[in-house]
Amino acid sequence: MRGIKVLERILATIPIMVGIAVIIFIFIRAVPGDPVDLMMGEGGYVSEEEMEAMRKAFNLDKPVHVQLYLFLTQTLRGDLGESFLKQVPVTDLILDTLPATIELALGALVFAVLVGVPVGVISAVKQNSLVDRVSMAGSFVGISFPHFWLGIIGILIFSVTLQWLPTNGRLDSGLSIEHITGLYVIDSLLLGDLELFWNSFHHLILPSATLGAAVAAMIARVMRSSMLEILRQDYVMLARAKGLSEYRVIVRHALRNALIPTVTVVGLQTGVLLGGNMVVETVFGWPGVGRMVVQSIYARDYPVVQGAVMLYAFTFVIANLIVDILYTYLNPKIEL
Amino acid sequence: MLEIKGLRTVFPTSKGEVVAAKDVDLTMEPGQIIGLVGESGCGKSVTMLSILRLVPHPGRIVSGQVLFFGEDLVKKSPLEMRRIRGKEIAMIFQDPMTTLNPVFKVGEQIRESLRIHGIMSEQAGSWPWGARYRLQAERDKVIQLMEEVGIPSPQARYHEYPHQFSGGMQQRALIAIALACEPRLLLADEPTTALDVTIQAQILDLLRRINETHGTGIILVTHDLGVAAEFCEEIVVMYAGQIVERGPTDEVIQRPLHPYTRGLLRSIPRITREKRKLEPIPGVVPDLANLKYNCAFYDRCDAALPKCEHDELELRDVGGGRLVRCVLY
Repeated sequence: MRGIKVLERILATIPIMVGIAVIIFIFIRAVPGDPVDLMMGEGGYVSEEEMEAMRKAFNLDKPVHVQLYLFLTQTLRGDLGESFLKQVPVTDLILDTLPATIELALGALVFAVLVGVPVGVISAVKQNSLVDRVSMAGSFVGISFPHFWLGIIGILIFSVTLQWLPTNGRLDSGLSIEHITGLYVIDSLLLGDLELFWNSFHHLILPSATLGAAVAAMIARVMRSSMLEILRQDYVMLARAKGLSEYRVIVRHALRNALIPTVTVVGLQTGVLLGGNMVVETVFGWPGVGRMVVQSIYARDYPVVQGAVMLYAFTFVIANLIVDILYTYLNPKIEL
Repeated sequence: MLEIKGLRTVFPTSKGEVVAAKDVDLTMEPGQIIGLVGESGCGKSVTMLSILRLVPHPGRIVSGQVLFFGEDLVKKSPLEMRRIRGKEIAMIFQDPMTTLNPVFKVGEQIRESLRIHGIMSEQAGSWPWGARYRLQAERDKVIQLMEEVGIPSPQARYHEYPHQFSGGMQQRALIAIALACEPRLLLADEPTTALDVTIQAQILDLLRRINETHGTGIILVTHDLGVAAEFCEEIVVMYAGQIVERGPTDEVIQRPLHPYTRGLLRSIPRITREKRKLEPIPGVVPDLANLKYNCAFYDRCDAALPKCEHDELELRDVGGGRLVRCVLY
């Protein structure tokens, strides 16, 4: 039953994706600047004919609705086109950069959950204590400060002053790793190379924390308020009256109920993780999709921007589906 | 079995300290059923929670003793208290709909009580072979408990969630949780208030049967004097955090001594042919943070005398097992 419903939900994403494709197609063309001009601008003298030939090669000479039609039919066949700049299929470019982005996003999510959930729970249990006040003030900082600022301050403190963590990249220069999953932290473990593992892990910490800080702060706040409400429930009193230890009352009986609203927030925050990754990947020189998108926007490399944004949209939709599925496990009253 | 002496539980508020239970004295023999009667907010629930030391923060017990088989529960460590809760003294709550944890299967919630107090561990033997046997033994015991409290087809309902149960069935499940470790004392805090009248009768019947077959002592907290009269051997009436009258049920009902008890009896509707005008007690329960008179009932009392305002009041033994806190006796 659950399997069929999940499949239904996945199929329902198709019209959403088509809509997104159309919107991004129009918006990127609405941005002033011509890709051919930008490409040729650096090449010295280029004749009008050469420019025209190039426009023709990219289909940019055709009316916009024809371009849209070509783009949609192509996309439905699974072909995202070729990068104007690099003359390489967009799919290849995305596949090359995606593992780095996934590694960073997962790192950020793990950081956010590992920090946010315990902080929220402790703040609620010790409501109005010093711990509570300090962590809520901290979460305010996490939500308010922009990624690039947090990233740069992080680099200043941990890389420049303390010299604990590297400033950019995924591995020290000179090191390389065999791609299995493309996530270096996992690959190095699969290869059994602890030195590579530590190296890639060190590189991952600061970008993950920067990207995950806002999400961690959000989780901590939601967790705290839902926990405060749950702790007043009758079933928490019953759990105590049964003779359970306070730890068991909180972790087993209260936490699971308090996680329900938190999971929704995590789903919605996927957007923050995706949007933030463009900035964070740029700040930390992380060779992922986000940094590629930023470069492609500068170059008006339409196909790459379109492909990457569609990937973002798809990820967002899938993340919300995963949240809905998780929900049914956490809350038996809800079905898909 | 249970002897409460001078129990005083207070809640600090912005308006001052509220004494929710004021020098409560209570004694109870094993297997006895006592009814604790009073209006909302008179300190019944707080007294029950004080026995289990579960008074919610910032409330606290400031003085008094709760002797359970001679041992003072007020002086027990948190760990010792946990071994008593659920095992020696169990509690059932007012609203079954909100008392079961919505995310766990009902059967598992009953099993948890067995597990926590290691009820099935002795027969089961040691890990690892014992673990599997123990789980099965616990499940069997849960099914047996569910059967005993009258949950139909317990095998199937073991795996259901609370929202799939009706209110009456949920209360039965909660009674099964309370009963799991065969406690010697059951604190029932308004167990039927949230239920339909017909279900109320079934639940009270069930509680009486448990009292008869297991010899479990029961303190039934209720605002319904009718329910208490029907169910209990002894009635304790509370008003504004104090016990105002105590005695055998028949005596208290037929010859109420305290003016408050008399007022309560007059305000119960009865099913008779003749139309009888109900007489509500005038006024409202006083603000516990701001008690003006020594007798908290003074300004609502129809038998008040000038000396009531200042005279010291104590719970006086007037013979025949009856105690009353009033200057009239």
